[in-house]
Amino acid sequence: MTTADVYLQQCINGLSLGAMYALLALGFTLVYGILELINFAHFNVFMVGSFVGLGTLSLFGVVPGAASLSGFMLAAVLLGTLLVTMVTSGALGVAIERIALRPLRDVRGPAAMITTIGVSYVLFNLVLLVLGADSKNFPTPLPSVSFAIGGAVLRLREILIWAVSLVLMGLLTWFVQFTRMGRAMRATAQDPEAARMMGVEVDRVIIMAFFLGSALAGAGGLMFGLYYNFTSYIIGFTAGLRAFTAAVLGGIGNVPGAMLGGLIIGLVEAMGGQLISASWADVIIFSILVLVLVFRPSGLLGRVAPNKS
Amino acid sequence: MKGLFARPAARRAGLALLILGLLAFPYAEGNDADIDSMANAACYAALALGLNIVVGFAGLLDLGYAAFFAIGAYFYGVFTAFQVMPHWSSFWQPFAMLHLVEKLNQGSGDVVHFTLSFWLALPLAALVAAGCGVLFGAPTLRLRGDYLAIVTLGFGEIVPIVARNTPSVTNGAAGLNGVQAPSLFGYNFNVQAIPYYYVGLALVALLMFVSIRLRDSRIGRAWMAIREDETAASAMGVDRTRLKLLAFAIGAAFAGASGVFYIAKLQTATPDMFGFPVSVMILVMVVLGGMGSVWGVVVGAVLLTLLQSWFLPDLTDWTHALGEQIGSQWLQQIDFARSTELIFGVLLVLMMLFRRDGLIPAARGSAALSFEQQNVAGVQRGGFASTEAAEVLGFAAPGVGNLLEVRGVTVRFGGLTALNKVDLVVPAGGVVAVIGPNGSGKSTLFNVITGLVAAESGSIRFNGAEILGLPPHTILARGLARTFQNIRLFANLPVLDNILIGQHARLRTGPIGAVLRGPGTRGEERAALLRARGIAGLFGNRLTPRLQQTVSHLSYANRRRVEIARALASRPRLLLLDEPTAGMNPAETLELAEQIRSLHKLGLTVLLIEHKLDVVTQLADTVVVLDHGDKLAEGRPDEVRRNEEVLRAYLGRAAREALDAA
Repeated sequence: MTTADVYLQQCINGLSLGAMYALLALGFTLVYGILELINFAHFNVFMVGSFVGLGTLSLFGVVPGAASLSGFMLAAVLLGTLLVTMVTSGALGVAIERIALRPLRDVRGPAAMITTIGVSYVLFNLVLLVLGADSKNFPTPLPSVSFAIGGAVLRLREILIWAVSLVLMGLLTWFVQFTRMGRAMRATAQDPEAARMMGVEVDRVIIMAFFLGSALAGAGGLMFGLYYNFTSYIIGFTAGLRAFTAAVLGGIGNVPGAMLGGLIIGLVEAMGGQLISASWADVIIFSILVLVLVFRPSGLLGRVAPNKS
Repeated sequence: MKGLFARPAARRAGLALLILGLLAFPYAEGNDADIDSMANAACYAALALGLNIVVGFAGLLDLGYAAFFAIGAYFYGVFTAFQVMPHWSSFWQPFAMLHLVEKLNQGSGDVVHFTLSFWLALPLAALVAAGCGVLFGAPTLRLRGDYLAIVTLGFGEIVPIVARNTPSVTNGAAGLNGVQAPSLFGYNFNVQAIPYYYVGLALVALLMFVSIRLRDSRIGRAWMAIREDETAASAMGVDRTRLKLLAFAIGAAFAGASGVFYIAKLQTATPDMFGFPVSVMILVMVVLGGMGSVWGVVVGAVLLTLLQSWFLPDLTDWTHALGEQIGSQWLQQIDFARSTELIFGVLLVLMMLFRRDGLIPAARGSAALSFEQQNVAGVQRGGFASTEAAEVLGFAAPGVGNLLEVRGVTVRFGGLTALNKVDLVVPAGGVVAVIGPNGSGKSTLFNVITGLVAAESGSIRFNGAEILGLPPHTILARGLARTFQNIRLFANLPVLDNILIGQHARLRTGPIGAVLRGPGTRGEERAALLRARGIAGLFGNRLTPRLQQTVSHLSYANRRRVEIARALASRPRLLLLDEPTAGMNPAETLELAEQIRSLHKLGLTVLLIEHKLDVVTQLADTVVVLDHGDKLAEGRPDEVRRNEEVLRAYLGRAAREALDAA
């Protein structure tokens, strides 16, 4: 591999990471845009999502070591798994909102944020206690087809991540821009009080934000497993923080911003790992977070959040 | 129970008993492991006290608090373990004489071994951690509260990563070994439990003392003001950034000292000991005990430490025994210790949902005045017109010329021009009223004068000096105090504290003075308390009987009065009142108008926004009319009342024609 090939390869890796972070960042952004709440539970909804994906695949008979699928079977299994994972994760998000967060909606101060930390901890430790601390192998239903671009390798799994992320983000954008519910969500993000007075059912908007965000996080979790071939109870923390950084970088509350931020953070992680050292990746990403917050708190594309000063 | 401990004598006796019990504990309990658990509990209590200052007092959610714990620990560890050992040279000679280093002979030559004393390391580590807190906090504390949480979380992650990635100093992931045990008068603590227990106890006692002294001072009041309403706090003279930084630094200092204690006891330090789980555990301790409650967080820390070292292992043993009895394999395999973090998570959620104030809620009471002091305050209850009122309020003479000159001020929010080249003059000793329809820019005018909103262009001179661009607390210190249209009091604090916070800019006590509480500080506090009571007394029996009541329990009109009292407490030269009589009935409106007139007579210059035109006519020398950000008219009340354009803005053209026809 020449140096250029190495960078091209890191670019491919970075874009795949970035697509995953973008899916996760969207959940932060949707909830923050409406409630002004950093939802720490989101970290581990992503982690639970990857386990749900693993379980669903094994229900379809796809277990580690099994032969890879192709054609219609592959598409059907992947689509089915994706749907089940997204709906289950979305339901988890809705349950969290309903049980732990709604009673605190009008409480000032950090109470709601502290609660999301508690919920995140509960999810994390439940998975740890029930499924154990060892990381679990993920099956590889994708045939090992790859394409050579110069010296770099583009595998099918990368194409899959990009495709799934693009389609989901496209659907989300369409939903937010063109549906009745999407309009209600945008109105609530601008001014919850006015939206309520105009007949928007804010409760339903909030539930929808949690459902969509968590479903996307679940999809991200499934992608994580298919990409890295493993999952573990610890994957939520690092990925969650990076995705949050991505959301802030793009402009929190801003849907296209979360996608852009995700891609940038993914590329930074891959390139930073190449140029400096992978063990400093977190330090680099947090430095970005602090710099953005201090010098451009509205992010690259502008912040969208209710005005609750 | 509560009634019993409300009496100072009973409280003192209870405290004495508690101290005796704690001192006797190691001798009653012979088991070293249990004494060690208590020493650990003391360490976590010290940490919880520090986090309580940040989260409980100042309301800043810090999720990376363990970073400062790590900084203190590594500071002591690096300077005593056999890790960093430069070559010996004569440079080290003076340090050796101070017993800070010693010369070691290693095969290849002489090297330096640091032997920093534990007792010296405690305050030094506190200083170093506080310094790191300031360095880290300075750029980030200006952020909104929720962003601060995530940034501190990041910081908490970075510090262990740095420790892991700099093995030459910290020995990387393997960690420091052979950290020096403390010794006192030649007696080495080594790995015995009892001496650490007593050191831990002393540390907690000291930090509790510092916490309580800070809480009941000008500093503590300012922190709580920030926690309750940052904008109002800064408009009442609290320098937000400085005080947040102070809370952050003091919290970090507590953690730094705790870190020294912790690894001196353990004699080893690895990066994993200071990760996110530790930050969360300390947060759970604070939340469980009660945010802002000094005794509460100590109890929370002790409970949770003992939960881990006593209750859960015991519970596991009992379950195993039960499993053996009934022959259940499953029961014999349960290990409750593994569920500690699950319990933490559940606790966080349950406490937030059902008991946000914690097990021992922070009740805020101020020291009661003595009988004589009460009487002194009682004499002053003569209302605003009395001669005592002048003394209590202490206004300076109004002076001559223009007190406030607003020239060509323009404020834009996005595409909306809220104020368009507005000019306004308030002569010293005058009363100027600003009127105008809703959305005409009146409140924006107040916000730009008091520094809450930035102007695009123009100039605002107060007493001859430019104040545009100054932060709100500096503007208040210059002598401009305000009230808010939608009342912004510190809702969870008592009336008295609200008025005391109004005096913030006029008092001098700093953090050190607050802790030492010398005669100067005590005198200042006493005077402030008297003055606050005096100001409350000006409102007759409206506020005086309610001084200890939480503001959120007051009636609407009384809240307005508290807000005016709070503004008066800052000894203003110009008082800005934003719709002071809104929501008051005619009798209350009349009373307040009378009081404003009395204040004016006492030398106060007033600028007010008011919708009730009879109040305006009664009080104001000059009326300024705003409409859509433009100044429409200015003049004496009766002139403005007849002004054509004003009538059109208020009533519309048709109404004017109807009026003419009639």
